[in-house]
Amino acid sequence: MSRLVTRRELINLLGATGGTAAVLQAGSVLGLLPATASAAALDLLALGSTNKKVAILGGGISGLTVAYELNKRGYDCTVLEASHRCGGRIFTVRHGDLIDEIGNRQYCEFDDDPHMYFNAGAARIPTSHRSLLAYCKELGVELEVFIGENNNAFLQDDALASGKPLRVNDYKTNMRGFLSEMLAKSMSEQQMDEPFTETEAENLLSVIRSFGDLSEGDLYQGSSRNGYASGGYLTHGVQKDMLAFRDLLQSSMGRIALSAYEGDYGPCLLQPVGGMDKIIAGFLSKIGGQVKYRAIVAGIQVRNDGVEIAYDQGGARHKLQADYCFNCIPTHLAVGLDHNFPIDYIKAMKYVRRGEAYKAAFQAKERFWEKEGIYGGITRMNNSSREIWYPPHGIHKDKGVVLAAYDFGGGSYFTKMVQQERVETHLQDGEKIHSNYRDMVEKPITIAWHRMNHMLGCAARWRQSFSGWTHEEEQMYNILQAPAGGRHYVIGDQMSMNSAWMESAILSAHWAMQDLDVRVRSEIAK
Amino acid sequence: MPDPFWRNGMIGKREVIVFFAALSFCFIKAYAAENLSDLREPYNDRYCTTCHGSDGRGNYGIKAPRLAGMEPWYLKRQLENFRAGIRGTHSSDREGIAMQSMAVKLSDSSITDIISWVGSWDYVATEITIEGNESLGQQLYIQCASCHGANGEGNEALGAPALRGQNDWYLATQLRNFIEGWRGSHPQDSLGQQMILMAQSLQNDDGIKNVVSYINTLSRK
Ligand SMILES: Cc1cc2nc3c(=O)[nH]c(=O)nc-3n(C[C@H](O)[C@H](O)[C@H](O)COP(=O)(O)OP(=O)(O)OC[C@H]3O[C@@H](n4cnc5c(N)ncnc54)[C@H](O)[C@@H]3O)c2cc1C
Repeated sequence: MSRLVTRRELINLLGATGGTAAVLQAGSVLGLLPATASAAALDLLALGSTNKKVAILGGGISGLTVAYELNKRGYDCTVLEASHRCGGRIFTVRHGDLIDEIGNRQYCEFDDDPHMYFNAGAARIPTSHRSLLAYCKELGVELEVFIGENNNAFLQDDALASGKPLRVNDYKTNMRGFLSEMLAKSMSEQQMDEPFTETEAENLLSVIRSFGDLSEGDLYQGSSRNGYASGGYLTHGVQKDMLAFRDLLQSSMGRIALSAYEGDYGPCLLQPVGGMDKIIAGFLSKIGGQVKYRAIVAGIQVRNDGVEIAYDQGGARHKLQADYCFNCIPTHLAVGLDHNFPIDYIKAMKYVRRGEAYKAAFQAKERFWEKEGIYGGITRMNNSSREIWYPPHGIHKDKGVVLAAYDFGGGSYFTKMVQQERVETHLQDGEKIHSNYRDMVEKPITIAWHRMNHMLGCAARWRQSFSGWTHEEEQMYNILQAPAGGRHYVIGDQMSMNSAWMESAILSAHWAMQDLDVRVRSEIAK
Repeated sequence: MPDPFWRNGMIGKREVIVFFAALSFCFIKAYAAENLSDLREPYNDRYCTTCHGSDGRGNYGIKAPRLAGMEPWYLKRQLENFRAGIRGTHSSDREGIAMQSMAVKLSDSSITDIISWVGSWDYVATEITIEGNESLGQQLYIQCASCHGANGEGNEALGAPALRGQNDWYLATQLRNFIEGWRGSHPQDSLGQQMILMAQSLQNDDGIKNVVSYINTLSRK
């Protein structure tokens, strides 16, 4: 009865059940479609004796990528950065640092120690982000593992277990057990009607059984996967009580517990040793001399023969003439500059909405989570603070910096609050997980990206609908991606279809430089 | 420096001088906290252009209105109202809320500084984004003119700001906010309460569109 399934048939089968995404992923596994773009070396012409000036507006990672790559090819680059620091949304906060939130300026009071830092913007590097990783390697940025998924961290929902935090492990093991039992039962009844061969059905059953650690008779009767209630080393392990399936269903946390670390979110993630801004430091070690700080771009005039930039620095207005311009200033700020962009270009800029993000952190007087067997990872709560992150670095040192909240949008809940209200909310939320939280933490910092100077948002939102991009949106995207007057490029993660990743920002810069390269080559050939 | 990236290695000359001054000071007096703060990134409250655009021209991307050309007395009153929570606290006034939380910590001297800074910007013509029926708008404007002036030039004695030259999308948002009571209902905002009453005559979005498109025709001197 067993019959070989051709690759094409398998793809059709997956396509019928899982939609295009499943087809694409499986396709690359089988080697039919190209795998995720690897970090292809940029093939850009070195200028030689030709002189070309490039103005780079904003020292975000996309701007610095352009400066670094074009500098290598002999372009004369100047980066104008409005803030006192480069990196934009790559922002590591340490002892003494200014958090330039409009109306809520803070200085970080953390202890002055290399591991006492907080990545207030980008914090995780997926291993599939090949271009970013290639730069880390090239620039000597040392990486270490970032732990997001940790089964020993907690889940907390007032609707679940009377609000008592559950270890992710307890939740997951039980939930998977019940799910498997249900699947296994329906399998055995229906397998004859299913489009599987006998072997396939057997294999599927074995997957289901092991997914939920089912015992004989395909029943879930608890598991040792979430540890023992007692014993396990010198005495026999005593199995933990099972949780009641009904109880687990009182909360929607399962959605998060079972799927939060898929795709770009891990589980294998990386971070630079000492803070995400080590990547920025890496770029600056090569092109730092070309950056002007506290240089606020005020005007962009695209002309036939170049681009004229006006910027304010040191209380005076300056001009910068360039042949080309690469601009990573967020579009919602760029439209307010004195520019002469084409109408449909402005229309596209105005269309992009600004996303929201909010993070907060405390210095912990002790690494209290380690005493609870937690080493790195994320606790998830069904409240406004949403998450607690335990630092994967500085293990067993005296202190650490713990993420107290990460709210990625919707209503600017914390953004509207004054500092004390924000902090009090995080303390109350955290106390539900760790009863000693309030005593253990101090020196709070909060970063509301919607109010951060020269940023006022996070992650451009092109799509109005969850169901995908409309034709008009794609058109506007294409208009904004093409250089205005052949000379002004919008770059940054805002010029990608997957915003809020460093990789996207870098790839937008690569796209723009490749476009520039074609133009420059043809100009030189004339 | 413990770390080459410490503040981007961007310690300015001024800070270095302060640092050494502070060091020598230590010999005389114990190291005080204020010396530490001298080493920190300096700042002032001149944030306006981040949201309100270059030279306060107004920025649609943030829905932040034009400040260039705004009367100092009006600007002062609004900043004080935001700071005191008289404006920008109604939950439906999205833009107002954004401004309110940014203004809440402004000191009197910062407000004075901001006003003089704003006063240094040249007015440049606004783009027109709203087109309605100007002649219907002209009829509606008759009532507005009694306070805001026949040419939308404003009237300080009545506390009524100039309207002409302001971003039309901003005027429209504010008129809607007044109609709905999202702006002006605070008990201490007597001028706002007056506006709530006046704005009712516009009735709906068409009324707003028409009167704003008429205001667009009142050229600025
Ligand atoms: C909370 C949060 C979490 C994130 N997590 C991750 C993560 O885990 N992994 C990941 O890969 N990515 C993450 N991201 C996204 C990542 O940080 C961004 O995609 C990336 O850093 C964007 O880079 P960019 O080049 O677009 O420039 P931006 O970082 O947007 O920089 C823009 C620059 O322009 C400057 N500027 C603004 N106005 C002016 C002006 N008028 N004149 C001159 N300069 C100006 C700004 O000061 C800034 O430096 C996160 C972002 C946030 C906010």
